[in-house]
Amino acid sequence: MVEVERILSKPLIGWMIILVNMLKYIGKIFLKYYLGLITKIVLVVHRPIIIAVAGSINKAFVKEEVKKALEERKYSVRANPKNFNTEIGLPLAVLSLPSGYNSFRDWIPAILKAPRKIFLRRFPKYLVLSIGTSDPGDASYLLKIIKPKILILTEISQRYLESFKDMDELAKEYEMMRDILTEDDLIIANFDNSRIREILVESKARVLGFGFFEKSDFKLIKIEKQYAGQSFVYEYKNNQINKNIKRFGKHHVYASLVKEAIIKYVEKKL
Amino acid sequence: MFERTKDLKLSIIKQIELRASNYPDVISLAQGIPSFDTPPCIKRRVERALKRGVVAKYSLSPGLPELRELIELQLANENMYYDFEKEIVVTAGSIQAITATILAITKSGDEIIIPEPTYTSYREVITLAGCKPVFAPLNEEKGWSFELDQYEKLINEKTKAIFYCNPNNPTGTIYTKEQLLELAKLAKKYNLFLISDEVYKDFVYDDQKIFSLAEIPEYRNFVIRIYGFSKAYAMTGWRVGYVHSDEKIMNEIIKVHDSLVTCAPVISQYGAMGALEMGKKDLENFNREYKRRLDLTVNRLMRLNKVFSFVEPKSSYYVFPRILKNKLTKDDHKINSWDFSLDLLDKCQVAFVPGFAFGKNGEEHVRISFGRSREDIIKAFNRLDDYFS
Repeated sequence: MVEVERILSKPLIGWMIILVNMLKYIGKIFLKYYLGLITKIVLVVHRPIIIAVAGSINKAFVKEEVKKALEERKYSVRANPKNFNTEIGLPLAVLSLPSGYNSFRDWIPAILKAPRKIFLRRFPKYLVLSIGTSDPGDASYLLKIIKPKILILTEISQRYLESFKDMDELAKEYEMMRDILTEDDLIIANFDNSRIREILVESKARVLGFGFFEKSDFKLIKIEKQYAGQSFVYEYKNNQINKNIKRFGKHHVYASLVKEAIIKYVEKKL
Repeated sequence: MFERTKDLKLSIIKQIELRASNYPDVISLAQGIPSFDTPPCIKRRVERALKRGVVAKYSLSPGLPELRELIELQLANENMYYDFEKEIVVTAGSIQAITATILAITKSGDEIIIPEPTYTSYREVITLAGCKPVFAPLNEEKGWSFELDQYEKLINEKTKAIFYCNPNNPTGTIYTKEQLLELAKLAKKYNLFLISDEVYKDFVYDDQKIFSLAEIPEYRNFVIRIYGFSKAYAMTGWRVGYVHSDEKIMNEIIKVHDSLVTCAPVISQYGAMGALEMGKKDLENFNREYKRRLDLTVNRLMRLNKVFSFVEPKSSYYVFPRILKNKLTKDDHKINSWDFSLDLLDKCQVAFVPGFAFGKNGEEHVRISFGRSREDIIKAFNRLDDYFS
């Protein structure tokens, strides 16, 4: 505090700090709207199928499995890197541009390259994008930029609750995502999470559930830990299927079930 | 009185630092602290968390789920598969991970084998746990490698674990995959835990890939791996690291972790998230700079070939040269690495860590850290050149 007072007692330094902070703020606003606008144009021009992954946990692994499923079937796919899921990160992921983080200079290439993406000859057929919801309004802003064809809901928990009044306010973010999808779209959701089940009661889009919950479409029967991973059994349309994965933890079983659902979707076997 | 602490010693490194602080113009190449500040991307991540008001409360005992998820992703990139919900615990630096691990897997009177020379604090933690450290020498002539046939002779019914540092501090050795697999066979044969401290694994100065036994799924029942963010991301003051192993082992370690610290400092956990999300470029820059400093240190040491001989380190930011016999006498008396280091401190105002701090097998060596700036390294060696010429 004493240090702040000492600096501010020197008017020139004080004003310079205020000026730099103002420039940073203006720069952030500019980037947000500039990248948002270019992204919208790019999506209109190239029309990729957007698969949005949302939830308070397990987005990264689900995204990884979805990407793998599509790549194995020779589709061109782009997924956002680990933390590129916010108002600036998501457009950067769609446009495949690096972040300049806190440097004015490092942002210049991204700003200059962004419009060129409109004229690209090849653009991925699928975009797998995780959506961050750490503050109220995050989802509504991101959904102004992207319109998902498939929404994957992994989990809703109290993990990012700090900025929300309560779980109901957090749930509204997911309701917004649900409401943007139409009858032609698809929601793949973790039915072991009661909040997700509640939210999806009013879904216009087709819903596919996965988990141990009785009414799941991809219904887990059992999971067994083995020395080199896990084996699990699930039921889909009255058929029991065994799978082995090399990862540990229930979240990987969920991610594998999402992968199965995506495979059925792209192979039109739903 | 003080039964538990009577055999503990204050670290020799700290003692040297304390003495060095009495010399106004001292250049200390003793402590293993990176000269860099924590990268700005990590600070920004922490600032954001502070502004959002999310750092004031405890996290879950094993750590923030989002951090553990990032750690699981990072481990998977390195061919290690662990469940972030049950098999990864974020700790207050790697030394707390070590303490929680040793307290969890041992009972009073157990023995733990430590290949030495190695990091000084291992001995103290083992002693604090009421156990006995059993030192097993590394073979300097074979580039500080394991002497496994000798280790087998040290194993008895009280032996609980073999605890090694890979890459090793102070020698900078990277143990080969073959050596580690042999070590694992030995551990399996005698039903021992293997504790692998891999805090220096991000600094590698040749093409050698660092192999970890935690990559082998069938060893996950007895391999416990420890990592800290201190060295790689210049975060020594943040005190954040992690430990991972199979769920059965972690269920026990978490109990000790919870009773020791409740959780790792939440503000530092956000720093660790920043490191994993955005710190890759900084890590690469650090690595390049350390390589330059290593080359500089090695060149300067070669000029002092009448004083030191050394095995060039492959990793970490230390060189561990042997002091030649003729320099270990003073006034016709044999001196040890402590006397030698004090003499250098007194005559040159240059601080090194005497080798015996890292175990008996480290005697007649000194540890030189090139974590300090190139200017400091040059100045320190100029003084040594003047002194020894």
